[in-house]
Amino acid sequence: MFLLAWRQILLDPLRTILTSVALGSVIAVILILAGFEQGQYHQLEQIVLHRKADLIVTQAGVNNFIAVRSSIPQLARAKVEAVDGVINAHPITAIPIIYNANNIRTPVYVVVYDTKGGPSSIIQGHNIKQGRDIVIDLSLATKYNLKPGDSFQVTGFEFKIVGITKEAAFMMPFAFINYDGMIDLFIESEIAPDLSTFPLLSYMLVELKPNSDREKIARLIEQRVSSVDVMTPDQLAENDVNMGKVFFEPIMGLLVTIGYIIGMLVVGLIMYADIRGRIKSFAVLKALGFSFGRLFLAVLVQSLLLLVITIPIGIFLALGLAEFIETIAPVYLIQLFEPKMFIQILIACFGFAFIGALIPIRTIQRTDPMLAFQGT
Amino acid sequence: MFKWTWKSLFSQRGTLVGSALGIACTFILVIFFDSVWRGESLQVVSYPSHMKPNVWVMQSGVGNMHMAMSFIWDWKADKIAKMPGVKRVTPILYMNSVVSAAHTRMFAFIVGLLPGDKRAEPWALTAGRHIKKPLETVIPDVLSTITNVNVGDQLHIADKSFTVVGLSSGTYSSANSVLFVPFSDLEKILSSTGTYSYLLVDAEEGTDPDSLAKRIRDEVEKVNALTHDQFVRNDLSLAKQMGVDIIIIMTAICSTLAVLIVGFTSYSLVMRRRRELAIIKALGMGSMNILISVIIQSGILTLFGFTIAVLFALFVIPYIPLILPQLTLAVSFTSLTQIGLIALVVAILGALIPAWLVSRVEPATAFHV
Repeated sequence: MFLLAWRQILLDPLRTILTSVALGSVIAVILILAGFEQGQYHQLEQIVLHRKADLIVTQAGVNNFIAVRSSIPQLARAKVEAVDGVINAHPITAIPIIYNANNIRTPVYVVVYDTKGGPSSIIQGHNIKQGRDIVIDLSLATKYNLKPGDSFQVTGFEFKIVGITKEAAFMMPFAFINYDGMIDLFIESEIAPDLSTFPLLSYMLVELKPNSDREKIARLIEQRVSSVDVMTPDQLAENDVNMGKVFFEPIMGLLVTIGYIIGMLVVGLIMYADIRGRIKSFAVLKALGFSFGRLFLAVLVQSLLLLVITIPIGIFLALGLAEFIETIAPVYLIQLFEPKMFIQILIACFGFAFIGALIPIRTIQRTDPMLAFQGT
Repeated sequence: MFKWTWKSLFSQRGTLVGSALGIACTFILVIFFDSVWRGESLQVVSYPSHMKPNVWVMQSGVGNMHMAMSFIWDWKADKIAKMPGVKRVTPILYMNSVVSAAHTRMFAFIVGLLPGDKRAEPWALTAGRHIKKPLETVIPDVLSTITNVNVGDQLHIADKSFTVVGLSSGTYSSANSVLFVPFSDLEKILSSTGTYSYLLVDAEEGTDPDSLAKRIRDEVEKVNALTHDQFVRNDLSLAKQMGVDIIIIMTAICSTLAVLIVGFTSYSLVMRRRRELAIIKALGMGSMNILISVIIQSGILTLFGFTIAVLFALFVIPYIPLILPQLTLAVSFTSLTQIGLIALVVAILGALIPAWLVSRVEPATAFHV
C-alpha cells in the first residue's frame, strides 16, 4: 500500500509540486495564525520578565503591567526598601503616549527608569546617557523611518533617539527614557501645568538579597505598605498573558479553525481529483480482488504521505512569512515553535489529512470493476 | 469552445464543489479578518461617536481618546463654558485600565461621570439603571454575558469594588469596553483633584464648530480643541492603523493560497482532458481559443468560490456574535469589492500553469492509442 501510494505521488511531479505547495501553504497559514497569537502572549510575558526584578510592586489592586495605570505614592519606596531582605526598590513609571508624526498616530508605552528596568537589549545605537535621550522600539523606527540621532517629539518636547531596542507588546511599541527626561518632558512640554495627575511612580522593581524567600518578603511588604500589591514577575506576566488571551483567543481560535477547514478541503480536493483521475486503476485493483478497505487504506496512506512531505514545506514557508512579517512590521512576533502549539497543529494536520481522505470514499466505493475491461 | 469549457468543468462536480469551497474558505479567512478589524475599529469610536458634542476639548498634544491620557484643569472648563457660542460643557474623567469581573481580567476604558450627568452617560441600557451613588458602575451587556457578572454583582477596578447597577448596549469591544463609574470614585483611583480628561462642548445653534474649536485653542492655554468629526476621525485612524499591516499580509497569503487551489484544479481538469484538447488542436482550433477557455474555466471556479465567500460574509458573519458575543464584526462592501478584484487576479494567475500545459499539448497525441 505504501509503495502504491508513494508511486502515485511520484507519477506526476508537477502535480505533486502544486499539491505540496498548496497544502504547505495551508499549513503555513495555520502556523502563522497560531504563531501570531503565541507571539502576542510571549511579548506580554517577556515585557515583564525583561525588567529583571525579584519582585514587582504595583498600586494596590493593580495586577497588570500593560494597558493599566498604576500610581504608587512616592513615600512608599522608602518603606519598601526598609523591609528586611530588600536591597533596592528601583522605580519605574509607565506613561502611555500617542506619537504623531506625518499624520500617523501610534500608541507608545513609555517606560521611565532610573537604575533598573531599562531596555533589555540595544540592537542599534547605545543606551540612555542624558535626560533627552530616548530608546525606541524597532517597530516605531521602521514605521516612521527613524534612526539613532533623529529627534522624537512628544507633545512638543524633543527627545533624541540614541538607541533602538526590540520591545513591544499588545501590538504596541515601547520606548524608554530616564527620570531626568520625564521631568524635563513634564516641565518643558505643554502638559506641565496639568502634571499633578500624572503618575510619577508606577511600579517598583524590587531587588532582594541572595537566597531570600520571595513569597515571604512580598507578603511582608504588603503588610507594611498598604498602598501597594507585590507580585513575582512570573505572576504579573501571567496576569498580562491571561488578559491578552481574553482579547485574542476568540478571534484567533476562529481563524485557526477556518484554516483547518481549508486544509481539510484541500486534502479532500487533492485526493478526490486524484481518484477521479485514475478511476480505471482503482477498477483494475477492484477486479484483481482488492477490498474496499485496502483501497481506502491506499488513499489514506497517500494522503498522510503527502502531508509528511508537505509539513517541512509548510514550516519552511511559515518561517519565511514570519521573517517577512517581522521585518515589515516588527511590532508583531510570530512564534512558530511554541512546543505545545506546534504539536497540537501537527496532530490537527494529521486529523484533517484523515478527514480529507474520507471525502473521496464514495467514489472508491462506487467504482465498478467492469470499468477495467472497457476501452479508452 | 465555451460549451466545452462549461461541460468539462461540470463533468467533475465533486472537484468543482471541493475547489470552490477551498477558494471560498481562503476568501472567508480574509473577509473574517477584515470584519474583525473593521468591527473593532468602529467599536473603538463607539463612545465618542454616540456622544456627538460639537467640539471635544482635551490636553494639548492629545488628539484622540483611544489609548490616550489627557488631563486639563477644571477652571478651563469654566472658562470655555463662558465663551460666546457655547451652550454647555460636560466634563468627563477617563482612564484605561484592566478590570476584574469574576475570573476574567480585561482591558477597558473607564469613564467617570459627574453626579446627575445625563449628557455623557451610556446611551442605551438593556438592564438596570444609570449610576446614582458612589461605587456603582454600568458595564457593557456583552461583558456581563461573557463574565456572568450581572446587575447587583461586584466588579473591581484597581483596589475599588463597584456594584453593577446597569448594563449598557453598544459599549463592548474586545479592545475597548467602556465602563461608567462616578467621577469622584475615578478621581480617587487616579489620585487626581481638580482635573478633567475631556470636555464635551455643545455649541449654540448657528455656531460653527470649526471656528469654536479654533477660538478655544486660541483663548484657552494649553488645550487642544477638535470638532467632533475630526476627533472621531483621529480615533478611527489610530484604531485602524493597529493591525492594518497584518490584514494586508493575511490577504496576500490567503490570495496566494486561492491561486494555488485554482491552479491545482485547473491543472487537474486540463490534464484529464489532454487528449480532447489534442483532438481540438488537431481539428484546427487555435491555441489562443484554448487558452481563453482555460482562463474562463479558472474564472468560473474563482467566481463560485468568491460567491460562496460573499454569501457567507453577508448571511453568516453577522450572526457569529450570537455564538461569540465578544466579537464585533463589520462586513464592508468596500472590502468585498477589493476581494472581488483580488479574485480576478487569482483567476488569471491560477490559469497560468494549466495554460502553459495546454500550449504544449501536441495535436499528434490525439492519434496515440
